[in-house]
Amino acid sequence: MNKRSLRTGLLFISPWIVGFVVFTAYPVFASLYYSLTDYSMIGTPRFVGLQNYVNLFSDKVFLTSLANTLYMVVIGLSFITVSTVTIAILLNNRRIKGLSFFRVVFFLPTLVPTVVLSVLWIWILEPDTGLINSILHLFGIPGPGWLASPAWAKPSFILMALWGAGNMIIIYLAGLQDISPALYEAASLDGANAWQKAVHITVPMLRPVIVFNVITGLIGTFQSFAEAFIMTNGGPNNATLFYSLYLYENAFQYFKIGYASAMAWILLIIVLGCTVLLLKFSHQLRPE
Amino acid sequence: MRLNRKLSAVGMAALTLGAIAVGCGQGATSPASSSGHQGTVQITYWYPWGGDSEKWDKWRIAKFQKENKNIKINAVYVPPDGGISNGKLLAAIAGHNPPDLVITNDPQAGYALAAKGALEPLDSYLKQLHFNEADLIPSFQSLMKYDGQTYLFPEDTNVEMLYYNVDLFKQAGLDPNKPPRTIAELDADAEKLTKISSSGTIQRMGFIPWIDDGDNPFVWSWTFGANLYNPKTNRMDLDSTQMVDMMNWMGSYAKKYNPEKLKSFTSGFGGAFTPDHPFFTGKVAMTVSGNWFSNALRIYAPNVHYKVAPLPAPPGGRADSTIFGTNVFMIPKGAKHPLEALKFAIWGSQGNILASDINTWRSVAVNQSSTKGIKFYNSNGQITDPIYKTVMKLAESPKSGTPALTSVASEMSNGLTSIRDKVIYNHADPGPLLKALQDKLQSEVGPPKS
Amino acid sequence: MKAMQVDTVVPVPRANRSQPAWQRFSQRVPLVLTYLVLVLIALAYVIPFLWLLSGALKSNHELFASPVVWIPKHWMFSNFVEAFRQFPFLLYLRNTLIIVGCNLVGVVLSNTLIAYGFARVNWPFRNAVFILVLATMMLPFQVTMIPLFVLFTNLGWIGTFLPLIVPSFFGNAFYIFLLRQFFIGIPKDLSDSAKVDGASEFRIYWQIILPLAKPVVTTVAIFSFIHDWGDFIGPLVFLSNNKLYTLSLGIQQIMSANDPRWTLLLAVGVSMTVPVLLLFFFMQRQFIQGISFTGIKD
Repeated sequence: MNKRSLRTGLLFISPWIVGFVVFTAYPVFASLYYSLTDYSMIGTPRFVGLQNYVNLFSDKVFLTSLANTLYMVVIGLSFITVSTVTIAILLNNRRIKGLSFFRVVFFLPTLVPTVVLSVLWIWILEPDTGLINSILHLFGIPGPGWLASPAWAKPSFILMALWGAGNMIIIYLAGLQDISPALYEAASLDGANAWQKAVHITVPMLRPVIVFNVITGLIGTFQSFAEAFIMTNGGPNNATLFYSLYLYENAFQYFKIGYASAMAWILLIIVLGCTVLLLKFSHQLRPE
Repeated sequence: MRLNRKLSAVGMAALTLGAIAVGCGQGATSPASSSGHQGTVQITYWYPWGGDSEKWDKWRIAKFQKENKNIKINAVYVPPDGGISNGKLLAAIAGHNPPDLVITNDPQAGYALAAKGALEPLDSYLKQLHFNEADLIPSFQSLMKYDGQTYLFPEDTNVEMLYYNVDLFKQAGLDPNKPPRTIAELDADAEKLTKISSSGTIQRMGFIPWIDDGDNPFVWSWTFGANLYNPKTNRMDLDSTQMVDMMNWMGSYAKKYNPEKLKSFTSGFGGAFTPDHPFFTGKVAMTVSGNWFSNALRIYAPNVHYKVAPLPAPPGGRADSTIFGTNVFMIPKGAKHPLEALKFAIWGSQGNILASDINTWRSVAVNQSSTKGIKFYNSNGQITDPIYKTVMKLAESPKSGTPALTSVASEMSNGLTSIRDKVIYNHADPGPLLKALQDKLQSEVGPPKS
Repeated sequence: MKAMQVDTVVPVPRANRSQPAWQRFSQRVPLVLTYLVLVLIALAYVIPFLWLLSGALKSNHELFASPVVWIPKHWMFSNFVEAFRQFPFLLYLRNTLIIVGCNLVGVVLSNTLIAYGFARVNWPFRNAVFILVLATMMLPFQVTMIPLFVLFTNLGWIGTFLPLIVPSFFGNAFYIFLLRQFFIGIPKDLSDSAKVDGASEFRIYWQIILPLAKPVVTTVAIFSFIHDWGDFIGPLVFLSNNKLYTLSLGIQQIMSANDPRWTLLLAVGVSMTVPVLLLFFFMQRQFIQGISFTGIKD
């Protein structure tokens, strides 16, 4: 019985097994192997030990790309998380009418294909004739150079990411709707105000959802490539040279397959490490 | 029995999946280069250009096929530069399915491929086709060779010039027949041409060193006299005084005017092929660009009155010179029909074939055996067009050339751009940064030969 | 239980029923504020769409005009006609649809089978393997990208659609997860009674579970469509010549060429976005449910 069910089960999942071996497990280990070699796709890989890793940590451009990406994770993701949770809390008010309307509005931008998003935002952020600076101009405020300015380029990307973060709002909203109204009613009876309710009920109850979104967001941020590739190609002054963009340049523009693979493995370690830390940290915050 | 049926059902499903997967893919597979019917040879040719150049290239192919009935050319548009900077060409070569012929506007990248052993040496085929090297402008011969063998075949080339607005020169009290010849003169003229309102907003810049083709770090380093890389000795020289001077010179513009303001001031859409280019709108009075820019001016700014001049150079630099932006043919390793491919390349780079393309873009045929059909010459073979006079003068100058013929050229270019940005945005000291890049790249290409 | 309505304009929750009038008033201020803030944010989310649309309908001159032209004087619908003529839109559309279509088949067939194996067949190590499936969701594409590129190069697949299609026939962790959750919720009695009648697992999967799972399969199909329709890095890395380009890659290549016509580019952008928006408006429920569902499980 057991054996038979094992066979049936494995048969059903056999496409996944094949896919896992060929498209996941093999590439992950191949990438580890390449990371220990000097390889340019022509000829055979030459084993160089840990040299690529050593070189990476003395490569200022690599460190810049890492710092840029960490900026997007720490500042960008925090900003986006606080903003989206706040919007979701505002929406999760039984007295607000037109909930489904708002939900649609916030969700729509996530449907815009990345390339169109990039074209559109180049044009929104255009310093002279762009949307944002034109609106600021109406109020007599001189807008910054956005993508043209090393200081404002990353905030530009954060703003763009917030516009496309509607799915996070939807997920938070669903999480909020799962919180039992009885908790709030009890708190009201105890005289808690809206702020106290948010801090002591909403956020702790929403914790698993927040952790989920932050982990997904973290992985997404480390993988983020297309927008910077299309909009700024890493400039100005390498301000938007993000991790994945530099990895792509090394692999497909400089043909440094080994070097790029070492970057890929460092990326994997960072993502795994952050995820484990986040899960641990969030368990400590678990409400009693 | 039941189990068997169950298993076979699931097995069937898996098979179906596989079959569909393969089916979907098959429909999508593009035809590879192959020999066609009896006696005809089909060559696959990758080219990087759209628009007018594409139309012209199609015309060239049709003409060639008419004259050579046994050769069919399967032309494939592979932007941005013939599939070099995005790894597509290398992938095709490594996958044993390369095109027979590639033309690219990035000879440095082609050189890098040659250094990797990814290209076919052309010497024996050139001999078979009775090619006469003397037909080529001499300054291109070093470009063609790597380690003594020929890998790149130049078609035509672009040169870099200073474009300046005649009306704005007059307004500023400058003589439009006396363009700046030195960096000091350039800076002085630029200052006179710059207009800043009393409230501090920039209305016009006389000159910005790093916009348009000035953005290409090889342009000014050549003019300043730097020798970034010597292929004979394998020596990099990125931190020479010339390079430091050049970076500091660019930094001086950033110190004088806020670079962020400059960038938002000049960032119109897209650049040269929009009506909003700052040179067209009079927002900058002088700029660096290639001969092809004259065509953009013809289309988008026919009323702008402009002239061209060689790039100004500092004392000790390379006056009256240019770096070449050369379109080169190359034949990937493993190409099936190299001889036929090279035949097309040689035939297709004759001046009379290039004529209509040259008439549009004012580029220079590297093969000077015929200038028939090029409208800038009169019947005696003398140049009548003033812009083309400057173009040819620069192309034939022995001081002109192609810098950075090294396998790490694109990394060098990115590295220099990034240092320049640090200099102009952060007022960084270029010396140590150049030294660091020098060390990194030298270690990548190995130690110099003595 | 419904809250009793004290006020006709604002329904007040039960707990507030006995509050004095001034308190009820002070509770309405935050509500008005909430509306205000939400409407402002909603505006900020909507305006970029209008900006895209107005840009696509402007003349080249208006697009670059300073000060800005908010609403084009003449609506240049000709931009769309021009774009279709100058940009190989139909070719790129065809390529995109081939990839999207093949992947739809692959995603639906493979993932429903796999999810069935995880949800409805009880076999040893099932949960351990499922955790492995979930773990692959965390793997960044950049880690597998290079070896896959080398692998596909050696197979001669670069420059064909195969690298963008074949993997979808071998399961995707996220879709497996979504489908499994739904399959688990289907009452066990249904398959048990079928088994008594002698039906094989495959028949149960095909004839009972799949028809019941239409909503979640639709959700998965929608996600797959949206992903492949807009995918950029896949085509960038794996496709080589422009005869195979997808819309995404085509737009980017036109931008990086030295002759971009921005009004046309924006028109193509609009044309590429509208189908997705239409799909959304027709399938809104599946969308929101699918997205909301994503976050519920820890």
